[in-house]
Amino acid sequence: MTSQTTIQKRQATTTRWLLLPGIIWMSLFLVVPILMIVYVSFWTQTTFNISPDPTLASWKQFFSSDTYTGSLWTTIRIWLIVLACTFIVGYPTALFVGLFVKSQTLSTVLLVICVIPFWTSFLIRVLAWRPMLGKEGAINIVLMKLGIIQQPIEVLLFTELSVIIGMTQIYCVFMVGPIAFMLSRIDRNIIEAARDLGAGFGRIFWKIIFPLSLPGVVVGAIFVSVMVLGEFATSGALSGRKVNLLGNIIVTQVGSLKWAMASVVGVILTVVMGIVIAGFLRIVDLKREL
Amino acid sequence: MESRILKPTLAIYVALFILFLYGPFVVLTIISFQQGPEGGPQFPIIEWSTYWYRHIFGLTPPSRIAPLPFGEALLRSLVLALMTMVVSTVLGVMSAQAFRRKFKGSGVVFYLIVLGMMVPGVLTGLGTSLLANNVIGIERHWYTTAFATHVAYTFPFAFLVMLAILNRFDASVEEAAWSLGVDPWTTFRKVTFPLIFPGVLSAMLFAFTLSLDEFPRTLFASGRDQTLPLAIYGTFSVEIHPNIFAFGVLTTLFSFALLSVYGILMAMSVRRAKKMAMQEDIA
Repeated sequence: MTSQTTIQKRQATTTRWLLLPGIIWMSLFLVVPILMIVYVSFWTQTTFNISPDPTLASWKQFFSSDTYTGSLWTTIRIWLIVLACTFIVGYPTALFVGLFVKSQTLSTVLLVICVIPFWTSFLIRVLAWRPMLGKEGAINIVLMKLGIIQQPIEVLLFTELSVIIGMTQIYCVFMVGPIAFMLSRIDRNIIEAARDLGAGFGRIFWKIIFPLSLPGVVVGAIFVSVMVLGEFATSGALSGRKVNLLGNIIVTQVGSLKWAMASVVGVILTVVMGIVIAGFLRIVDLKREL
Repeated sequence: MESRILKPTLAIYVALFILFLYGPFVVLTIISFQQGPEGGPQFPIIEWSTYWYRHIFGLTPPSRIAPLPFGEALLRSLVLALMTMVVSTVLGVMSAQAFRRKFKGSGVVFYLIVLGMMVPGVLTGLGTSLLANNVIGIERHWYTTAFATHVAYTFPFAFLVMLAILNRFDASVEEAAWSLGVDPWTTFRKVTFPLIFPGVLSAMLFAFTLSLDEFPRTLFASGRDQTLPLAIYGTFSVEIHPNIFAFGVLTTLFSFALLSVYGILMAMSVRRAKKMAMQEDIA
């Protein structure tokens, strides 16, 4: 007969062996690379080469250049706008799918419809906005046919607006999914009870529905933030190089083998991400909500 | 609830939302039938044709527009996605299995794994290429460095899917097997695994599709040989022709085929589970 303690000890060993490969993989290929970015940001960069002599040169260069600091503010501005847009566009949809649709089948079908566009390659989805927004694009053609406008709107493509429209469309589903999920878990009896006590929809929404959907909003916001902050393809393809996010700077710096500068931008991006995610996680404990 | 006004309004809103989601894809599909080789990637459609679809497969007479260099890239992407799928799912199942028992430091390990899906691809890609290129000094390849970043990205998804499945898992069937003297590994193979198989399928689907379309990590970490998203990105800098849109339509159809296979496998495993449950009821 095995005693209780040996069983527990054996189970602890099993747990350790089950976790080890995953921990090793994530440490080697996620944590170490991020530490590398911090490390290399202090290296000395010459025109064609980079050496591990410590220096603050790249950092000074970043903060003294309007192009670089400007890209930091652009990134934060675009992130806030896109976050707000995905929330405004996504919440009503989530409300309908998660709360108003009574049949389980219909809400599943609606969610699947939302996910289907993701089966087209991300880059091709970005590219598809060009014939949509251009001067002779679909939106201008439709608006002119309807007689709403006489002249084609030219600010639609290759501006900051086109980047925002594109990102909102690509990322809003990440907002819809978690919110709809949280809404569908709300006990309908609570809403019934509130209504029986004479609460109107506005009151029910602000006192019950919205607070209970908040974890979904936070998870959605984390998804959208992570993706928008690290973006460079959408801004590159739809702004005609006018909108430079931190990601775009990293790509161009790596392209010209300026590893130290790319690392500085990488560290700044990491810090921004860290602040944003930590901020959101203060609102909701992600692990408990699962 | 003011269902009479609110619900129809929301329904119309959702219809508009779906239009917004599908608008670009509809336009993309229309333009993929543009006349070739003169027709550009814009309106109006000069004449409907399947020229650009034939162009992809090299069935058109040679013109000034070179065929898309996607053949080898597609093959590499598929191999990479398969490798990533296998490793991520195995890691995901193992870690989620470990999380069924409480252990010290579980919070740290949880966030270490979830970090993989939270860190932007630009950063993982940059860091991995710095590590390989400048610090260790090895060459980057799609099947080494890029593969490592792909797993670091898709493993958290597989892990979370498996965690959700195992949270709802009834452990008493396993305990029954153990009490009958079946060793843990056999129990896992014969009891646990068949029961969590639908979750494993979902984890595999997640890992495969995320890896297939993964772009920022691959951009930095893959070195000389391009994967499919990199090849598509390469066409951004040169002139765009409707063939890229035709290619987009074809890959979407391919994805649907993949999704159907997943659906069929899922339905089969659910039916088998039901059958087993019925046999249990009889016995």
